[in-house]
Amino acid sequence: MRFIKFNQTNGRSASPVPGFGGRVSQQGLENELDWLFGTALTGFAGLSRGGQFPVDLFEDKENTYVRAELPGVASDAISVEIVDGALSIQASRKASSGEGNESFARLVNIADEVQADKVSASYENGVLTVTLPRKEQAKPRKINVSVN
Amino acid sequence: MPYLNVLIPSGGRSESDPVATRKPRYEVSETENAYRITVSLPGVTKDSLEITDENGQLRISGKGGPALPEGRVALRRETSDAPFDLVLAHDNTVDTEKIDAVLKDGVLSLTLAKSESAKPRKIAVS
Repeated sequence: MRFIKFNQTNGRSASPVPGFGGRVSQQGLENELDWLFGTALTGFAGLSRGGQFPVDLFEDKENTYVRAELPGVASDAISVEIVDGALSIQASRKASSGEGNESFARLVNIADEVQADKVSASYENGVLTVTLPRKEQAKPRKINVSVN
Repeated sequence: MPYLNVLIPSGGRSESDPVATRKPRYEVSETENAYRITVSLPGVTKDSLEITDENGQLRISGKGGPALPEGRVALRRETSDAPFDLVLAHDNTVDTEKIDAVLKDGVLSLTLAKSESAKPRKIAVS
């Protein structure tokens, strides 16, 4: 049987160097190396590491956007709130082991100039995008300089 | 060299493609009749995903997330838009005619039916 398979170990963060003092299969080591490389390159390789998920921050002239990767989460299991000048994203999904739920949370600091009452969110293909419109005076204004 | 591939998978880079790719997170589980592969692909649409099975190698590849709309600049990035590439080697215990793929909420679920010869068989003792 040569199909790649391995047992997902959840205690990886507790022992960053596995296999010393314990038996580790080839696949387990392979997976471990993948993970090490993955984290070295991207920081967060995906969900399920400490209950956090990767977040991007974008802006254009009108809005600030927070984009979060939440694969496998149903849209009704996501809650987005503005609390004390921070954006709170909470989500849960069925654990990959099939038992119970995994929950994730992330707090993103947002600038004061966001119109908290006009924040909107959409979820598509496992990606949550929160649109935070900026207040009028916070938008860039063009000032004409008159030269005498 | 399928065995070598098991030990050293694509490593997120394919020889024919000089563009750096990333390897998505995945999990493999097994039931009596099938293998189940779950790949985390947030932001990936059905159209930008390609799944092939050739010479005992299952390959899941495609473009990364959508391009940024014009005028939008990144202040902080924790995710990657790089194309992804995952190659998994398997032996002949998979019935390649019966590979089923479902993409939902950024998670790709593949079901690979085991070929009849790979299923456990009970042998009666006479």
